[in-house]
Amino acid sequence: MAIFGLWVINKAGGLVYQRDFAEGLAQLSSNEYLVLAGTLHGIHAITSRLSPIGASSGAHVIEGETFKMTILLTATGTKFVLLTSIAETSAGAVLQRVYEAYADAVMKNPFHTPEMPIRSEGFDARIVALIGTGHT
Amino acid sequence: MTIYCLYIFDRHCNCAYYHDWHRTKRPRRANEGGGLLQGVSHALAPLPASAPASAPGTPITSPRNTLGAGAGVLVAFGGAGQPQQEPQSAPPLLQTQAGGMPPSAPAGGTGLPFDEEAKLVYGVILSLRNMIKRLSGRDETFVCYRTSAYKLHLFETVSGYRFVMLSDPNAESLRFVMRSIYTGPFLEYVVRNPLASMDSREQGVDNEYFRASVDRLVRGLSVFL
Repeated sequence: MAIFGLWVINKAGGLVYQRDFAEGLAQLSSNEYLVLAGTLHGIHAITSRLSPIGASSGAHVIEGETFKMTILLTATGTKFVLLTSIAETSAGAVLQRVYEAYADAVMKNPFHTPEMPIRSEGFDARIVALIGTGHT
Repeated sequence: MTIYCLYIFDRHCNCAYYHDWHRTKRPRRANEGGGLLQGVSHALAPLPASAPASAPGTPITSPRNTLGAGAGVLVAFGGAGQPQQEPQSAPPLLQTQAGGMPPSAPAGGTGLPFDEEAKLVYGVILSLRNMIKRLSGRDETFVCYRTSAYKLHLFETVSGYRFVMLSDPNAESLRFVMRSIYTGPFLEYVVRNPLASMDSREQGVDNEYFRASVDRLVRGLSVFL
């Protein structure tokens, strides 16, 4: 049971925050994370169109063989993506608390420009307090 | 717990087979010349340009008429989306329903044409596969994803055939179901069928035995309703 990483994607599809926790996934450059976040943004939009029964949200959980990605889409279009092991059950709850930390430490920060990369020690501290090393 | 539909893609990235059960939002017919292979699904093949597109019961466009279909293989559409009626007369293997589409589906439809939809599905699974491979660093494949309305499962064979199944969001992994479709009906009626061209770029793998046995297999599952 481990949390591998956290991404925050703005409503245009750009990656604004990325942090790794436990080992288990490949180490990629920041450029590659930017590309993957953009791809995920596009895929999320398409998955809501493919529904066989009409209206659907975008993908919530995307599973591979050893890890899964849980996506929380907020009402403002910001996506919070948590990469965890398959067995991890608390991904939804963790993402909710990450969203709360984002609202407190990032949105209420008068020096932060919305939709821009997040450079906030307060947000980092809250994330570390929330997730720690990622091992549970 | 229900299963909505099944797509099979070949290694040339074309949709080779399509079968649906409970979709309420029917796919529209493929556009003429839109790249849909013949023999994928009779109900979704493009209408010939000269045929009137209005009444579904006219002789040319009725699903009973297979003369107009360009496919060289006899295909039978089992009237998916409605409760399956047992075939009353022996040939063909499945009774085609009069007037193909259920009356509630609008002719123009709010959905995409089928060939575009198949391309979208393929694009999504390809992109997700690449993304998961890059992220994990190992040779790892994408297994499934879940939205609020459906769950999409992927099963890939060594020969490059990709089975994609859409089910309701609470379903457990359907990999085993797709694997049994592969080892059962697919091997039996497609691979071992000397008349079915598997690796062609112009023909799907639809034939009445394959369709019937897939239908029987899926309807017999405990997860199917």
